[in-house]
Amino acid sequence: MARGPSASEGSKMTTELATKELEKKYNKLVGTAASNMCAHCGWCMDSCHVYLANHDPEVTPVAKAERIRRVYKKNHDWLSKIFPFWTGAKKLTDEELQKWVELAYRDCTLCERCVVNCPMGVETPQLIAAARSALTSVGKAPEILTQLADMAISREENAEIYRDFFLEQIKEIEKQLQAHLGTTDASIPIDKEGARILYVPLSGAHTILPEAIIFNVARESWTLSMFEASNYGVFLGDTAKAKRIAERIINEAKRLKVKEVVLTECGHAYTTMRWEAPKWFGGPLPFRVRSILEVLDEYVRDGRLKFDPSKNSEPVTYHDSCNLGRKGGLLEEPRRVLRAIAQDFREMTPNRLQSLCCGGGAGLVAIAEWSEARIKAGKPKADQIRQTGAKIVVTSCDNCRHQITELNEHYNLGIKVTSLCELTVQALVLPDGAMASTNSK
Amino acid sequence: MTEELKTVATIDLKGLVCPIPIVKVSQAIKQVKVGEVIEAFATDPGVLGDIPAWCKTSGNELVKMERVDKVFRFVVRRLV
Repeated sequence: MARGPSASEGSKMTTELATKELEKKYNKLVGTAASNMCAHCGWCMDSCHVYLANHDPEVTPVAKAERIRRVYKKNHDWLSKIFPFWTGAKKLTDEELQKWVELAYRDCTLCERCVVNCPMGVETPQLIAAARSALTSVGKAPEILTQLADMAISREENAEIYRDFFLEQIKEIEKQLQAHLGTTDASIPIDKEGARILYVPLSGAHTILPEAIIFNVARESWTLSMFEASNYGVFLGDTAKAKRIAERIINEAKRLKVKEVVLTECGHAYTTMRWEAPKWFGGPLPFRVRSILEVLDEYVRDGRLKFDPSKNSEPVTYHDSCNLGRKGGLLEEPRRVLRAIAQDFREMTPNRLQSLCCGGGAGLVAIAEWSEARIKAGKPKADQIRQTGAKIVVTSCDNCRHQITELNEHYNLGIKVTSLCELTVQALVLPDGAMASTNSK
Repeated sequence: MTEELKTVATIDLKGLVCPIPIVKVSQAIKQVKVGEVIEAFATDPGVLGDIPAWCKTSGNELVKMERVDKVFRFVVRRLV
């Protein structure tokens, strides 16, 4: 009779598999971060919102990186191969792997603030991402992230079933659009071949209705994607799943022959499609990829939309999503829009490249069992918001929006959290009379 | 006959948007026994696609999905 693996054999198999996955992720960036380049100067400590909130040395970027680095050193550092006790190099153990779950998925949101402040440019998040991949490969990733990634794939595999749900959803939103614009000419086009823009929302109406209003008023040639922009495969470090999720949108864009894919206000969705997808698919995509922030900014600069900023008279501040700002470079676009649509826009300090993470990024906001730690890690952001005296916080990332909404409740900030598109719609001057939309289904 | 199903928990997802409804349903289903049924009420139309997709990928059963005025009601049975 065949014998199953014993507990120790099972544990050995798990660590071997995880180590193998770590090796698969070993590239130039990971290799540099895993090398002796880190001077252990500690400059990264105050960059990390998790450390700022906890003051626990174990959660500093250097400490988190070191745990993963010593496993890499075992295989890649010549000194560690000979004298592992000198360098602290260690083989991965089951116990250590278990510790990595919290380290990689709870105590780091891959915000990269430590990277911009590291005098040596050590990319600690590359190591954390590699650890996430290793954990995913042995089934130790948070279950909800796996389910959310699988949901996205399932939607495409069962497109015929979900299409009905999707159309029902859009019909609801289109009614609201027409009521808002006072015309039945306004529409949400789906499957419109040859449209200039394929707009990719999240699954919530809050990322469809405001954009539909804006596109209709701007008389944009657009069509709505059947798929949602978010990609939980990225948070899992599961490249196969992440590619599969991105591919749905790429295939749709190719089929409809659009000129560009515009991603909704979602940080990781933008960086994934803009920067990661071309790497996965072997070169530039056959269409332009932009964030809705860039499109809005273009409309403002071209005078394509008219605004009444007095409709947004309360003080407004902007939270830079780590993915859109620090990683994506979209720093001035939202600010130009905000100055056009609001009377009193004020900055948080620090901002732009030095913006503090809200504490909920990289999927953490979806992991209910760590909500206490997440809210605690968001305290520096809550303090920052309070100091502005703003009554409205705009953020262009849904992850951040969920987190700041919870920070508002927990720390009694007395704010309203909204998106740039929602605030834009509030100040939008609608054309007189019934609109003659250029879109038709 | 599904109207006669006894639901052991009710979750209020009104006003919440993805992924929070999924997170809360996923949490709630773990609190009941296999075979038991929960119901959820949501307002965001995004759940029309999300909840069925979640049921399929998590291995649970979507027993019923209906609309009551502006609220969507879902009945889910724990299978795993």
